[in-house]
Amino acid sequence: MAALCRVVSGLRYRVRLSSRFLRSSFSSDSGPAEGPVSGFAAAFDQQEVLRRETQSSAAGPKASSSGPELSFAALLRRSPLIQMGPAKDAVVVGRVFRVVRDDLYIDFGGKFHCVCQRPAGADGLQPGSRVRLRLQDMELTARFLGASTDTTLLEAQAVLLGPLDGREHQSRD
Amino acid sequence: MAVRALTRGLLGFRYSRAATVASPCGGHHYVTAPSVKPPQPQADDVTEKILNQPLEKPDFFRVAELFSLKDLFDARVHLGHKKGCRHRLMEPYLYGCRLDHDIIDLDQTMEHLQLALNFTAHIAYRGGIILFVSRRRQFGHLVETTAMDCGEYAHTRYWQGGLLTNANIQYGPGVRLPDLIIFLSTLNNVFQQHVGIRDAAKMNIPTVGVVDSNCNPSLVTYPVPGNDDTPAAVELYCRLFKMTINRAKDRRKQMELLHGLSAPTS
Repeated sequence: MAALCRVVSGLRYRVRLSSRFLRSSFSSDSGPAEGPVSGFAAAFDQQEVLRRETQSSAAGPKASSSGPELSFAALLRRSPLIQMGPAKDAVVVGRVFRVVRDDLYIDFGGKFHCVCQRPAGADGLQPGSRVRLRLQDMELTARFLGASTDTTLLEAQAVLLGPLDGREHQSRD
Repeated sequence: MAVRALTRGLLGFRYSRAATVASPCGGHHYVTAPSVKPPQPQADDVTEKILNQPLEKPDFFRVAELFSLKDLFDARVHLGHKKGCRHRLMEPYLYGCRLDHDIIDLDQTMEHLQLALNFTAHIAYRGGIILFVSRRRQFGHLVETTAMDCGEYAHTRYWQGGLLTNANIQYGPGVRLPDLIIFLSTLNNVFQQHVGIRDAAKMNIPTVGVVDSNCNPSLVTYPVPGNDDTPAAVELYCRLFKMTINRAKDRRKQMELLHGLSAPTS
């Protein structure tokens, strides 16, 4: 049922192929030579052709998925930030870009960075090392009494879980 | 006739690198002899041609090639603040709000950025002074090096009250004010609008400003809705402005060489 819906919606946006091309992909059904093929048969043929096209283009230069045809809406919908959902308790990978004594400034791909305390034994966390974080909030804001807009701290909040697995004993030179 | 010679002389003084000074007195002498032409007609005509040629095409400097939607997206330009920080006047520029976070519409940002870069290029082509302003301490050094790399000016420190409006008294008479002010962030450190925006509007100086979802875009001449907090985004803006200004200045040198105004320097 879901496949049928997808096929029907695909029909609305794609250009209809010629009936000659559709008939050539039919193997079992020997329908009449004239007359347009309609209904599920036409949709099935069209999807076959599209699948073959994507396979051939994937073998060639990959311009279809990351080319300039993607709209802002499509880019946004497929971006990891949107796919992640609510930021509360999401585990992400960040990169330390600045160290000030015991404070690590970590950038995880959001609008702001987060600042975490360096844990006791982890002296290998240098600028450039990747860490795992559990996000609490993407931007620390609060509305105070008497204010018309929120006050923002221009920072995110996250809990440091530790260095990325497999890099605990490696140091970046 | 005298007025025309006078305006030509002023234009020549302001814009031409070869410093042609067409004296207004010359026009007066020739008023009674219409067959004799005013002095230095060729330099003025060529300068006017150089100045008017970029105005014929909508994107003479091809600034739209410098960036793409994907570049803006990867630099996180579309990320805005939270819903509670939103400024009412930024609502037309927002694509939507996702889990309380505002998303800026990058299609609109593309258009506005193209307009802003085009305007900057024209100003730089005509030899205008450009001032980069940002009160974000995180990006102060970046803005200053950007300005230095394109041969323009930057002001990333405390903005004194009468800097533009009281310039003649604070800096001496006859100070030349900037012809364009580019704000990499329109807010100061206490989240109020930067004083420079209001002062530039008072002094008739056009402004280009990156407005985030908590900024007021009304007084900015060429607002560019976009993120002004992430280092990646600000680096992108600085790179784009630097490339535009350098491109425009190189084009101007090329045009002058082409029309034989300045001697080619190897």
